[in-house]
Amino acid sequence: MTLVKKFWRCHICNDIHYGVKPPELCPTCGAKNAFVLCDRNEAMQIMASADYSISTPAEVAKAWIDLTAKSDFELWDDSEAVKTLSEGVLENNRNKGLKYCPCRITTGDKEKDLNIVCPCNFKAQKTWKEYGECWCGLFVRRK
Amino acid sequence: MADDNKRLIWFFGRECPHCRQLHPVVDKFIEDTGIEIVKLEVWHDDKNAQLMRSHGDVIADACGGSLGVPAFYNERTGKAICGARIDADRLQKWANG
Repeated sequence: MTLVKKFWRCHICNDIHYGVKPPELCPTCGAKNAFVLCDRNEAMQIMASADYSISTPAEVAKAWIDLTAKSDFELWDDSEAVKTLSEGVLENNRNKGLKYCPCRITTGDKEKDLNIVCPCNFKAQKTWKEYGECWCGLFVRRK
Repeated sequence: MADDNKRLIWFFGRECPHCRQLHPVVDKFIEDTGIEIVKLEVWHDDKNAQLMRSHGDVIADACGGSLGVPAFYNERTGKAICGARIDADRLQKWANG
């Protein structure tokens, strides 16, 4: 069965969720059962009003660190490699439109290539199962 | 001989840390063995990326399911090796077929 994701809008605070079903609790305002189905145009207009970007290596690295904070994985302890990777995803964002993993390569199939936007679903990868790390080594199992 | 035109190719990414670490290993291998390996960057050269994609099935299989770098492709044997854990011994076996 194909799962179809849709846009949902919290009618209290305009939080946008993209998924098969809406969250029961709004993560922004805490309202219960407040999400209503909305169309792409409406969702895009609301999201376009967010005036920020992740455009420097430091900002990219911070987003990665925040992701690891409550997880069973952490960042590679080689700061130079992390810097190289953060520069790489930004380079790919500029040239290819999304923050693709610099250690993968796009196939040309946009849907398929979403699987290599960093961070990817790395726990499904062979390298995670065998060595406890993502393909590029950026995320490693916490010791 | 037709095989004379078959190359040993290393597909790498400029911002891939494992590729960076492998550069001296590959350079030393080339120097020690005299075996030629063509280095092709794939994130900043669409032609190289296209060539890598043309061997996509074999390389993806070697990479554990998806296309990735560093990847080494032997045009003579059609075999590939891939990933961070590549050393001179693995290169030699791959080059020999």
